[in-house]
Amino acid sequence: MLDAITKKITTKVSKPVHIAPLVTFRVAFGAMMFISIIRFWSKGWITDLYVTPTFYFPFFGWDWVQPLGSTGMHFVFALMAITSLCIMLGSFYRIATILFFLAFTYVELIDITNYLNHYYFVSIVSFLLIFLPANKYYAVDCIIYPSSKRKFVPLWTIGAIRLQLAMVYFFAGLAKLNSDWMLNALPMKIWLPAKTHLPFVGQFMYEEWVAYFFSWFGAAYDLFIAFFLINKRTRPYAYIVVLGFHIATAIFFPAIGMFPFIMMVSSLIFFSSDLQGKIWEWVSNAKEDGKPALVYTYKPFVKKAIIILLFVHFTLQVIIPLRFIFYPGHLFWTEQGFRFSWRVMLMEKSGNTFFYVKEPSTGKVFEVNNVEYLTRLQEKMMSTQPDMMVYYAHYLAKKYAEKGITSPEVFAEGYVALNGRRSTSFIDTTVDLNKQKIGFQNYGWVLPFEK
Amino acid sequence: MNTRLRLIGLVAVVSATIFWGCKKDSGGPGTGTDANKDFKVAMLTNYADNIIIPSYTDVQAKLDLLNTSVEAFITAPSVSTQASLKTSFENAYLSFEKISLPNFGPAASLLLNNYSNTFPAVKEKIEAGVLSGTPNFTQPVASDSIQGFPTLDYLLFSTDAVAKFSAGDAANRKQYVKDVMARLKLLVTNTLTQWNGTYRTAFINSTKTDVGSSIGYLINQFAYEMDVLKGPRIGWPYGKQSGGIVFADKCEAYYSGISTELAVANLTSLKNYYKGGTGSGIDDYLILLNKTQLNTDVLAQFDATLTALQAVPSPLSDAFVNNKTQVDAAYIEIQKLLTLLKTDVASATSVRINYQDSDGD
Repeated sequence: MLDAITKKITTKVSKPVHIAPLVTFRVAFGAMMFISIIRFWSKGWITDLYVTPTFYFPFFGWDWVQPLGSTGMHFVFALMAITSLCIMLGSFYRIATILFFLAFTYVELIDITNYLNHYYFVSIVSFLLIFLPANKYYAVDCIIYPSSKRKFVPLWTIGAIRLQLAMVYFFAGLAKLNSDWMLNALPMKIWLPAKTHLPFVGQFMYEEWVAYFFSWFGAAYDLFIAFFLINKRTRPYAYIVVLGFHIATAIFFPAIGMFPFIMMVSSLIFFSSDLQGKIWEWVSNAKEDGKPALVYTYKPFVKKAIIILLFVHFTLQVIIPLRFIFYPGHLFWTEQGFRFSWRVMLMEKSGNTFFYVKEPSTGKVFEVNNVEYLTRLQEKMMSTQPDMMVYYAHYLAKKYAEKGITSPEVFAEGYVALNGRRSTSFIDTTVDLNKQKIGFQNYGWVLPFEK
Repeated sequence: MNTRLRLIGLVAVVSATIFWGCKKDSGGPGTGTDANKDFKVAMLTNYADNIIIPSYTDVQAKLDLLNTSVEAFITAPSVSTQASLKTSFENAYLSFEKISLPNFGPAASLLLNNYSNTFPAVKEKIEAGVLSGTPNFTQPVASDSIQGFPTLDYLLFSTDAVAKFSAGDAANRKQYVKDVMARLKLLVTNTLTQWNGTYRTAFINSTKTDVGSSIGYLINQFAYEMDVLKGPRIGWPYGKQSGGIVFADKCEAYYSGISTELAVANLTSLKNYYKGGTGSGIDDYLILLNKTQLNTDVLAQFDATLTALQAVPSPLSDAFVNNKTQVDAAYIEIQKLLTLLKTDVASATSVRINYQDSDGD
């Protein structure tokens, strides 16, 4: 019985289909990445985020990832710009996807401050693309190596991207199912009144029902859109909703940058091979050359390896967003298990933190001027995220030891406001943060969330 | 089949509505009446016309008076001309505290605050400039101020100032003071000119709250001014950074000994900005956002902080040594007000305390 099901599934996902959705995705993704890199560069963010700071908050276990200085960082971004173009054109595709993935992920790993879900999404997608035959048709590589041309690919190569996208949406929807979002329309109630400058809709931004509408529609959209995109009958309407939703978010929340546009073009992957194949063939005006169209096949052991890899990957994609269950305390408050979980535009949180370095032998206390060590953005991010505070405390201890303070202890006094509530004490002021370890354990020194 | 059709119909209607809404959105500025948008414009107009522009005008007038006193002192340096000079100096400096907050737009692009009131001034560099006669005033100030109020404070009111202006080589010193005065006046005039020109319109019509918007600027500057009050104005000279070792000469206006008065003036001005004077201000905006309690608490904390600060005897540099209880008490209140403005008010108005543009999610 089980065997029969497995066989049925295997046959279904291995079914050869037109490569077009993969090609569309490759072109759109490459183009979006190129635009994103150019935009990032032109705003001067390479310097602001990766050259100016004197200290960077590493991800746990990735402390060895360090920036490369002004020239080096600009070189890395130039490399990303070139490889994203290569991905778009399908030229030197394999090496381009590998280099792009490595460069992009390297940059993201430098500083927690700059973590964004959509950067994580880009890293994942570029990783998946390495193993997918997106350059086998309508690609420069097919001109260079005509014999590599393949019109059909196994369905699962397209399915992998579809599944990834569906999971992003679904988990983003799950994350919204909390009392603040659903019952109190928070943070929408806080964010929307700031949007009164918008023509036509601006006048409604103080209305409570609008905040509820945004919250409920957003949650429903994220939870169900993938299913409507997968279903053939609802697909065209669903895609119109995708466009509407993301254009709206781009207008209302311009600070989320490229994310809406990346999602709009990425969602094209859901359109069928038949439809996209016809469009590509009409656009390229391809003449049938009479030869039978070839199906892309992996070498058996490569296929096996990739299937295992994808299986592991998608299992992790389920486990990682759910890991927060194992931590005590309020997730939005402690942020333990918060990242890498598609929790997008979910809360209004801000804080400020005062650090004190104490020399036990003399009892002297030195208050830290955060601006001396951190950029404003880093200070802001650190003030609401416990693990960043520990990294910072370790750094401060090192710096003050260099100044001649013997065995410095580091204490912090922090205040955080979550979703429009009044700010309250965030951390235990009597705990020496320099003695705290970074890791996956629970940070007991974060004070409990008071509703 | 029927349910399916209905579902499809619903999806179509919803998407069409959104699509239509978006198209409307991107159709350029609207013309419809909009009470809440009007509130923001009215509030910002109040800030521009009743607070910011009059404050710059006042500084300009006070600088003219100061200039007259400076001329009188330079012409005949004596203890008595110095005394009347000090009154003009204090008046001008107190007036300047009222334009400390709007350090955005014209003031930011001209680096007005940076050039005019970065303290402490570095006396070695000033003396070197006096000696050479060719100081470079156009270098943005990092931490080595050689111009603006702090420099005047040093040159005109340090212990042997009168004697130095009467010495044989006083010509260079006099010229230096004249140059600093002229530059201060020029920077204020240029800033005011821009406010009276196109910037006022840009300011009052910027009704967003993102980085670079007028409300964003105001809230960010509340946080910034509180940071400065807590750090450079009081905490650092008091030794908060240095394990209790007092650096009295790092005070704002150490030589003329008016640091406490300036700090009080700065905070009073901050409260006035918060309230929008007698017109619409951030306080009314918070009430509009249903944050009445927060607003009440912020106003109460402003008062508590002002009371605590006024209880610190002048000059501040002496109080650091002789009145630690009062200084500590004021410091605690400042810290509370800072948290309210930087965290609670910023959060309630969804303004990012950042000063730096970046993507979020």
